[in-house]
Amino acid sequence: MASSLLSSLDKPDQQVVPRKDPRQDSEPLVHISNFRMDFGRTTVIRDLSFDINRGETFGFLGSNGSGKTTTIRALLGIYQPTAGLLHINGKPFSPEDGGTLGYLPEERGLYKKESVIDVMTYFGRLKGLSRSAAHAWSLQYLERVALGDKAKLRLDKLSGGQQQKVQLGVTIMNDPELLILDEPTKGFDPVNRKLLMDIIEDQKRAGATVLMVTHQMEEVERLCDRIVLLKNGTVEAYGTVEDVQEQYGGTVVRIRYTGDIPESPHFTVTLRESSYAELTVTGPIDEAVILRELMDAGVTVREFTAGRPSLDDIFVAVYGDQNPGATAGERTGTAGE
Amino acid sequence: MARHNLGTVVSFEVTRTLKKKQFWLTTLLVPVVIGIVIALIVLSNTATDSKVDSQKDATLRFTYSDASGYIDPAIATAFGGTLATDPDQAIADVKSGQSAAYFSYPAQPTKEATTAYGADLGIFDNGKYSSVATQLMVASAQEKIGDPTLTGLARGSFQVDAVTYKDGAVSGGILGAIAPLLFLLIFYVVIVMLGNQMLTSTLEEKENRVTEMILTTLNPTTLIMGKIISLFIIGIVQMLVFILPVLFGYLFFRTSLSLPDVDFSQLIVNPGQMVVGALLLIGGFTLFMGTLVAAGAIMPTAKEASQVFGIVMALVFVPLYAVSLVVSDPHALIVQLFTFFPYSAPVTAMLRNGLGSLSPLESGIVIAELFILGGIVLRLAVQLFRYGSVEYTKRVSLRTVFARSRG
Repeated sequence: MASSLLSSLDKPDQQVVPRKDPRQDSEPLVHISNFRMDFGRTTVIRDLSFDINRGETFGFLGSNGSGKTTTIRALLGIYQPTAGLLHINGKPFSPEDGGTLGYLPEERGLYKKESVIDVMTYFGRLKGLSRSAAHAWSLQYLERVALGDKAKLRLDKLSGGQQQKVQLGVTIMNDPELLILDEPTKGFDPVNRKLLMDIIEDQKRAGATVLMVTHQMEEVERLCDRIVLLKNGTVEAYGTVEDVQEQYGGTVVRIRYTGDIPESPHFTVTLRESSYAELTVTGPIDEAVILRELMDAGVTVREFTAGRPSLDDIFVAVYGDQNPGATAGERTGTAGE
Repeated sequence: MARHNLGTVVSFEVTRTLKKKQFWLTTLLVPVVIGIVIALIVLSNTATDSKVDSQKDATLRFTYSDASGYIDPAIATAFGGTLATDPDQAIADVKSGQSAAYFSYPAQPTKEATTAYGADLGIFDNGKYSSVATQLMVASAQEKIGDPTLTGLARGSFQVDAVTYKDGAVSGGILGAIAPLLFLLIFYVVIVMLGNQMLTSTLEEKENRVTEMILTTLNPTTLIMGKIISLFIIGIVQMLVFILPVLFGYLFFRTSLSLPDVDFSQLIVNPGQMVVGALLLIGGFTLFMGTLVAAGAIMPTAKEASQVFGIVMALVFVPLYAVSLVVSDPHALIVQLFTFFPYSAPVTAMLRNGLGSLSPLESGIVIAELFILGGIVLRLAVQLFRYGSVEYTKRVSLRTVFARSRG
């Protein structure tokens, strides 16, 4: 099972042969239907339904405390759902299926007082590899991530970044069919972040399905085929990135200007700086009408572009009311946490 | 049903513990201390014996007076003694150093003390005065009796074997109590030596934030079972290490250590008592280990969990305060309370089982209670671990856990 990944580790730039799945593509790998989760009197998830297709990279987005980690824990059987179906491969997940799963939780850690190689071998065995296969895979992986000389050291003797690399190895060592990454780049420096992205790409090429929780919108736009936005315990938006941009955001006009932008029923100002602004068009209005309105109001427009909103724009628009401290002018590439 | 990955967990837990230097340092410390104590006792006893022997053989020039009339003058002369005519002068001679010693035998030696006067030779060597005085009286008495066997009998040097009956069959007495009481010894060793390890073992998953990854490869029951089994194996290793020096000491230095010569062939093993003892041990072990796992799952750190460990230890030792009552009056109210209160039941019931005062009905009730409650506590511990151990920084309330498990 681990052989294809071992070969991909050996030759990371080489094309990896995708896994062949006997099931029909139409059958989703992950199926969540009418999921509800109450903790006592508190409802965390009201009604959540979405599917993740085989081989796709799926972004699971939402503000802090919106229930993403709870959903993943329920999907993996750690929490018992109040109602609804949470299926992987057509049935509820059980630890016996752990060999097909790679899970990088938001809260990370390994047995810090044990040696790197012992911990990796242990997890390999738990995931169904033989001791010798797990041991050999681990050594090869450690070589690839420049930790070959640290195999016999205790984990707590490694730096935080080195520990992250080990944890990543543990996550992917069983050549998983489904990779669940809960805020995968959290705490990673740029070098390790690139390593992580390379490995995710490897896994995608090998045919793995990836479920990714992240607040890094540029990563979502780069990697994800489809996304779901979770708000108030239910789906706010769901589909391909383009679908969601279309579905939620409509058209965004970006201008460089001088003057005062007027009030208008045809657009709202979502970002205003001294000489730059972003206007979200409301309704099926032609961009030329907007330009005309600005010019009629005496605004000097030096640059005018119209396009879809970024996921950042959508995130702020959707969750801005849940985080009043964040104004449009303050937003950056990282939203939320 | 074979549990998924149970063998892997047991293998990992046992191997990593046995590979730790600290485990061997603490484990070997006990036999090393026992070995040192044995060596000191052997050396000390050897020195004492040789000293006593040399004192016995030493010729001490002394004077004596005999109000009892039991001292044989010929034997006294052979011992180096001279009859003193004036006791006050004899004492004055000892004080001035003209005489080494003076023994004053009273009229009734069994009721009054014999006084030995002598020059101070130091605390240890002063013992030779009483030694010689005693030997002189014993030799004189033997001479008067004229029969060494009678002398031995008069000194109580003979053995009595008691044969007692219970329900028409020969009961064991102390020889029948030894085997079932071994379960109590095992229980104490396991709980005291391994309890804290159990507590910190489950806390480790929480403190290291490893719970979620683990729970995708095995269920919490398997993990906890694996930890309990591995701790049991480690406990056996520790007990073997502890027993070896004791066994060595018994086999080769029994006399020097003044240990009784136990004839193991005389030990009486009652199968019923042994089965009850084993079941009480397993039930008690399950209950206490389940409780420690539950505590480990709720508490965020080992420091906070150690408070729970202190309470558990107190519960294990509390029945010992009533041990005299357990022996003399097993039907006393406090003994009955300790017998049936779950956390004092294992120790009290195993003690009573060893002493033969636990009835079959009481045995059945306590065993059932321990197994049922142990099962419930283990299930609770699994739930607490499943939900509590993913709350990495918080102390989890039972209400929260049940809210999560009900969903």
